[in-house]
Amino acid sequence: MANAQMPLDEVLMIIALGAYVVGALALLVYFFSRSEWLRHLAIPLAIAGCAAQFGQLIARYEITHIWPLLNLYGSLSLFAAVAVLIFIIFAFRYDLWFAGGFVLGLSALFLAYAITWNEGSMPAVPSLQSYWAKIHVPLVVSSYAAFMVSFVISVMFLVKYYFERSLAKQGPHAPVTMRMDTPNIAAAAAAGNAGAQWLNTIPSLAQLDVLIYRIVAVGLPLLTLGIITGAMWAHESWGHYWQWDPKETAALFSWIVYAIYMHLHTRNAWRGVRSAWVSLIGFLSIMFCYFGVNLWISGLHSYKV
Amino acid sequence: MQAVRELYDDFIRTFGNVLFAVLLFIVWGLLTLVGVIIAQGKDPATYFDSYAAPLARLILRLDFNNIYHTPYYVGIIGLILLSLTVCTFKRVIPARLPPLRAVAIDKIPLHASFDVVGDPESIRDRMEAFFRARGWNVRKRELGGVEWTFADKHNWARRGVLVAHAGFVIIAAGTTIYWAKGFSGDEAIVTGQTVSVPHTQTSIRLDGFSYKIKPIVTKSGMVYQPIDYVSRVTATGSDGVARTATIRVNHPLDVDGVLYYQSSYGFAMRFRVTHDGVRVPALMNRDYLTGDEIDLPGTQRSIVVAQFVPTVDRLSGQPSADPRINDPAVFLQIFDSGQAAGAGLIPMKAAIDAGGGWRVTPERYLLVSGIQYTHDPGVSLVGIGAFVLLAGLMISFYLLPARLFVRVDPGPEGSRIGLAAMTVKGYDIFERQFNDLAAALGTKLIGDSRG
Ligand code: HEM
Repeated sequence: MANAQMPLDEVLMIIALGAYVVGALALLVYFFSRSEWLRHLAIPLAIAGCAAQFGQLIARYEITHIWPLLNLYGSLSLFAAVAVLIFIIFAFRYDLWFAGGFVLGLSALFLAYAITWNEGSMPAVPSLQSYWAKIHVPLVVSSYAAFMVSFVISVMFLVKYYFERSLAKQGPHAPVTMRMDTPNIAAAAAAGNAGAQWLNTIPSLAQLDVLIYRIVAVGLPLLTLGIITGAMWAHESWGHYWQWDPKETAALFSWIVYAIYMHLHTRNAWRGVRSAWVSLIGFLSIMFCYFGVNLWISGLHSYKV
Repeated sequence: MQAVRELYDDFIRTFGNVLFAVLLFIVWGLLTLVGVIIAQGKDPATYFDSYAAPLARLILRLDFNNIYHTPYYVGIIGLILLSLTVCTFKRVIPARLPPLRAVAIDKIPLHASFDVVGDPESIRDRMEAFFRARGWNVRKRELGGVEWTFADKHNWARRGVLVAHAGFVIIAAGTTIYWAKGFSGDEAIVTGQTVSVPHTQTSIRLDGFSYKIKPIVTKSGMVYQPIDYVSRVTATGSDGVARTATIRVNHPLDVDGVLYYQSSYGFAMRFRVTHDGVRVPALMNRDYLTGDEIDLPGTQRSIVVAQFVPTVDRLSGQPSADPRINDPAVFLQIFDSGQAAGAGLIPMKAAIDAGGGWRVTPERYLLVSGIQYTHDPGVSLVGIGAFVLLAGLMISFYLLPARLFVRVDPGPEGSRIGLAAMTVKGYDIFERQFNDLAAALGTKLIGDSRG
């Protein structure tokens, strides 16, 4: 009978997924309607989902005694959990709830995808039996999670920016005076344009730009530390800290993209729409590094010794 | 002379431009991506198998099969280092560590001004106390006949960029040391065999190799999961003393500063070879690795040891997926004048008839351990550089050096304060704090002057 029941870790996973889906829907509707009760409903759901996910990882470790992050199931579920965690921290600090529907929605998608990779418990192959696994994987996955949150804000920035541009072109609205101002959206919102009204309620382009910077500034040091600890682990396990393995080099590529972002962001004229595009490309490169390399390109990181 | 000067100026202008550095970063990124997408270090035929012939030829011609060691890959990193150096002296230092100077307050996007009661001198003193109480470092200067007050926060953190850039240079230096003085390689050692490792005075004998594999039932079927690989070796270093040791994955052996790693494993075969029933010792007393050939003397025939199969499936007679050794066999291919003339999966002690009176019998197998060795005298420098880089990133990202420019002039109510702020990351990032600060300062001084 006991065998027929779902193990605790899988139950927690379903709870987290449910909380994210409902939370995402509530925040999406909040994004459009600005009804405060929806936000008050979604915040505890996001927190509960996140807690259930960490509970799931602990339960899995307790049940199997195997470090749970060494396959796509475990790492993806940590990815979703940390993305929600970072989002919650930023949301409390910088009032980021307007982006919550998208962050929770994406997390729910990744979590659902993670569940399809659940293969049951498997002991680690020799090269993964290292304490570095316990340091390196969480760091890298957390950096990916931070980049996911900055990606969502970048997309919002770009939508707002291009909406303003298209309104400015249609005339006879106010001309764009400063790069980061959105007078046309404000005017269209006052005139009852629904799209403009939604966009008018999210922070200004300048504030969105600063938010993107702040979140990338969490992700990039994490990625740097992730690459460094990965190199230390490789040094111990494969004999060289850098082997030009596809996974390493894909992470290096993402690191370079975000270094470009940081440098562009030091320039007044390039801060804003251009740096938002670079942040968006950065997250696509992270997704390639995470899934593309795992699924299409084999290398040392596919763990064949 | 004039031309040289102009050339030099152009060079400095170009290499000192952040956008040029970004361009170099883009090229570096794209070359790195090429190496991710195109498998590296494979033999040329692989590329012709995977890509259309013209593309495969292009890949090989441009060395895209070994891109990370090409002159242009190394060259782009060299250019980045050059640009970084020029930029650091021409841009970063002047931009991040500017002298205290007078500014046109209302030309700076973050500015505020208000009138307060009181003479400028006492207002300056009260203002100074206000800033100090909030953790600002205050300096006063007379510039062009005007008394300026400057307040800085996290001024030391202006050097964070320099730290990050220095970290990158240190990493580059560490990797260069490896290229200049380091070496690495690998050796496949058959059980009982001794190899002398090139570049070193070390010899290593493989006393035994073992591996542990666990069959696991997963939701999508049976998986054979490797659990452990262990080489027991006797290593003799430059002191001539033989020491026994074990090498396992994640636990390398250090002999004279060279590290030896467990990297792979395989099998070697011994065969009984007879011609018309007579043993041929020259062909028998050898270890054959996968891919090796047994050339039958006096014929055009050869037998290739194609694959060692640890377990043959009893029902089908085909190789099974089980990598543990239960019913071993070896897959042999017979070639005659280079043409395939037969093949078979031959169990141990069974014989294959190679024609012309030749018979080949797999007699025993031996485990082979793949050991990789590396000597990298730059590794600690790379490690230090990595942490310096990380520290630089954190200082640059998490601390916001900001400078307030304040002047107090006589005004209608006594004094007029002009306040402006600049940060190393533009204005938007500081807007809210600036407004709060200006409001608090106004309240304080107006409150003070009333009280
Ligand atoms: C891989 C190597 C490099 C790393 C890790 C790196 C890192 C950084 C970091 C962390 C910042 C601070 C960003 C911020 O505060 O928001 C920065 C700024 C800067 N970097 Fe780099 N950088 C590198 C290469 C270069 C190169 C090649 C140049 C040469 C043009 C350069 C020029 C600059 C400049 C001019 C600034 C801004 C200084 C300012 O205006 O305040 N960097 N860099």
